[in-house]
Amino acid sequence: MSTQLDVAASRVLRRVRLAHALRLPRYIGRRILFLVPQVLLISFITFALVRLLPGDPARFQLGPLAPEEAVEALRRKLHLDLSIPQQYAIWLKHTLSGDFGTSWSQGTDVGEDLLQRIPVTLELIFLSLLVVFIVLVPLAIVTASLSRNWAVWALRNVTFGYGMLAGALPDFLLALLLIFIFYTNLNLLPGPEGRLGILDTAPPFVTGSILIDATIAGDWSTFWSGAWHLVMPVFTLAFVYGAPVFKMLRSQMEIALDAEYTTYGEALGLAPRTILARAARVAAGSTVVIVGTVIMFLLGGDVLVESVFNMSGLGQYAVQAIVTADYAPIQAFVCFAAIFTMLVYLAVDLVHFAMDPRIKVVGSPT
Amino acid sequence: MWLRISSTLRQLPLWQLVFLALFALIVVLTAIGPDLAPYSTINACPSDRLVPPSAAHWLGTDDNGIDILSRLLAAPRTDVVIAVIATAISVLLGSPLGVVIALLESRRRGGSTVVAEIAMRLLEVIQAFPVFVFAMVLVAVFGGTKVNIIAAIAFVNTPVFVRLVRSDVLSLVQRPFAEAARAVGNSEWRVGFRHILPNAIPTILVQLSVTIGFAILLTAGLSFVGAGVKPPTPELGSMIASGAKFLIIGQWWPAVFPGIALGLIVFSFGVFGEVMTKFMEPRAIRSATWRTGMTTETDDAPVIGIVAPTTNAILAVRDLEVTPLQPGASPLLSGVSFSLGAGERMAIVGESGAGKSVLVKAVLGLLPAQLQVNSGQVRYGEVDLLNLDKSKLRSLRSKHIAATLANAKSQLHPLTTVGGTFAAALAAHQKVSAPEARRRSIELLRMVGMNDPERRLEAYPHELSGGMAQRVCIALALMYRPRLLIADEPTAGLDVTVQRQVLDLMEKLAREAGTAQLIVTSDLGIAAHYCDKVAVMQAGRVIEINETRAFFDAPVHPYSRQLLDSVRL
Repeated sequence: MSTQLDVAASRVLRRVRLAHALRLPRYIGRRILFLVPQVLLISFITFALVRLLPGDPARFQLGPLAPEEAVEALRRKLHLDLSIPQQYAIWLKHTLSGDFGTSWSQGTDVGEDLLQRIPVTLELIFLSLLVVFIVLVPLAIVTASLSRNWAVWALRNVTFGYGMLAGALPDFLLALLLIFIFYTNLNLLPGPEGRLGILDTAPPFVTGSILIDATIAGDWSTFWSGAWHLVMPVFTLAFVYGAPVFKMLRSQMEIALDAEYTTYGEALGLAPRTILARAARVAAGSTVVIVGTVIMFLLGGDVLVESVFNMSGLGQYAVQAIVTADYAPIQAFVCFAAIFTMLVYLAVDLVHFAMDPRIKVVGSPT
Repeated sequence: MWLRISSTLRQLPLWQLVFLALFALIVVLTAIGPDLAPYSTINACPSDRLVPPSAAHWLGTDDNGIDILSRLLAAPRTDVVIAVIATAISVLLGSPLGVVIALLESRRRGGSTVVAEIAMRLLEVIQAFPVFVFAMVLVAVFGGTKVNIIAAIAFVNTPVFVRLVRSDVLSLVQRPFAEAARAVGNSEWRVGFRHILPNAIPTILVQLSVTIGFAILLTAGLSFVGAGVKPPTPELGSMIASGAKFLIIGQWWPAVFPGIALGLIVFSFGVFGEVMTKFMEPRAIRSATWRTGMTTETDDAPVIGIVAPTTNAILAVRDLEVTPLQPGASPLLSGVSFSLGAGERMAIVGESGAGKSVLVKAVLGLLPAQLQVNSGQVRYGEVDLLNLDKSKLRSLRSKHIAATLANAKSQLHPLTTVGGTFAAALAAHQKVSAPEARRRSIELLRMVGMNDPERRLEAYPHELSGGMAQRVCIALALMYRPRLLIADEPTAGLDVTVQRQVLDLMEKLAREAGTAQLIVTSDLGIAAHYCDKVAVMQAGRVIEINETRAFFDAPVHPYSRQLLDSVRL
């Protein structure tokens, strides 16, 4: 009798689980569907905004001395005489066929430029996040712990100072100070000369990441040169942009370690590590949301840090484009950033969803 | 109000006070800074270019020969005003929007969720623009006036608050207090704004201190790349930018001093936010009530009834005193003594606030950090529990000394299934395979009268009723057939049949395994039928202990009589 009940119950359970499992792909599918209008909207807003930038690109391109007729002809050739929606339609058609246009300040193909520069920026962001996860996340968990160990106590004070300092220090200032100390005065690290020294030759282009490409080519001197050139930019980004993650994780950890379930866990005789892990699971929810925001900030903060260190990544490219009213690169940069950010957000929501059973998928039947 | 401010300030470490003072100074400088400048803040003086710090120019001069100190005094008016106004706009727009979206989502009605979903996706569109570049484009398009910079910064920061408040409200909306507020007839919106939003304020404040700092940095950053406030105006970012090229060749003062100023300003705002968070913390208020709210009415009269220590006691408590950590606080427990032999069951009764739960936590060694044991002894057999090292104490817990705590539903870890909690509790003391753990958990759940235990193992605490959570906790406590069971309101939330079932089970445990039991209850019926002894607590003291029969026949202490009369009526 009871075994029959067991079988029936487990059958019900399997069906419930299956329904849950089926809901997730549907949710992801819907989110990706949303991505299309979102990206269209973003690209249109950017398109309109960029066209409002002061300065006439045709005049920019031909110089102040060119005759008015030539400027007029170029304007027609660039479709600048059409209305913004018409221009947008043309741009969209080109973009969808893989043609991102030409930069008129550099005369280069924007698609090519992106291919060169996106890996640089992704490499910076990835390495910075890696440092945050390897160094700051464990620090936040340990320093929030209830232990009255003197080492934890000392660490707590040091990292508390860090949390405050990192929030207060502008990335570009930290970058300049690092250069002043480690290059100008101590001469330990390379200065703001870009991704490699002047005498280094870049490895053959495969992925665009110097570290990976140099590894593939087996060129270790270039690898180390690239790594040394990355130390200051990555440290700057991780130090400044890891702070919100660190602060959020620690404050959530403190709340979780103060909660009733932690006391009860101790009453159950759970190992200190288990108790810490249980608290960390709860704290991770809000932290994941902040990590998503930080990744987005990294893409923006990267703009300044790349400019200071001359990394010739995407950020520096965008700044130059805005200053010279260069339509195509700005447009391409913003669209890339938008898609990248929205995929990050989707990932954040999914992770958050997977971690917390209390959160129900929006709009799902319950 | 003033009292709380001054008491909060007194608790702060010195360095925070220093930065609070600096914060006040920055506010003053924002108001009158430009008038204090000893030199002109915008007129170039080519003969004095790049003078190092000296008596005439304390912080040196920049590449235009302008006194850096003068420019620094004038700069907060630009940076701080822009950032504070922009952040205020983001919070005021973002928080209500976050509440509204969360409430619409939690309604789970077709129309509402669609609106909420569209709002979230639009928000993503705004956030998908990289903040810095977006602000740059906005400022470049509309011109670098202060109003435009404020608008751009407010616009890019609003979604942060919407998302934060939304995720907080979504997790709070199912909490008991919100359900209770709805149950007594408050409208959904009222519950959202009056009951839930205030609970999200600490998180908002932490974010606020981060965001104001970020807004100041954003203002400076925009100006640093030349897309914000333009150079003649004294502004920190543009000052650092113009000093940067000299920094690299060794002339550090034109960039470093504005940099330090920028850092100090943001830092002071951070400290201010931190202090505000501390000020808002409910914990501080709670401990204040502990300090003042507890009055010891009973005199030092000796406890009435049997006090002679049981020989071979499993649990012996002697003269236990617990006080809050603040100096001058009156004790929450004082002079508590009793002992418990094998198989013996003692009820602890008394009105709420008498110190029953504090006693339970003190005996278990689980007092919150704000409370401490002042004096006294707690012994488990020959073991001194109060001075036992942590790992030894842990090895006793659950296996020898088990406990159920009041309000079972919030005792269970919210992200762990019932089965997961059982597995963790088993793994704490022995190596068990997963199927074996499952088998034992099902058996234990069945013992406490849980129907369909296989399915319950998959349930999360928020899917359990209070009574089911209570039974899960009792099952966990019975897991190792402990020698000592301390149960705080073990039958709260159970219906009468299950209550009897659980109590019979506890009795059986006492009889068969000789488990000594300390049962905190507000139900005198349980004390009368299931316990060997009764201890009455009032205002942190045990005022009477006696055999159950003797106690109910002839209570001695006037308060005990009062307690019994209140039930008999």
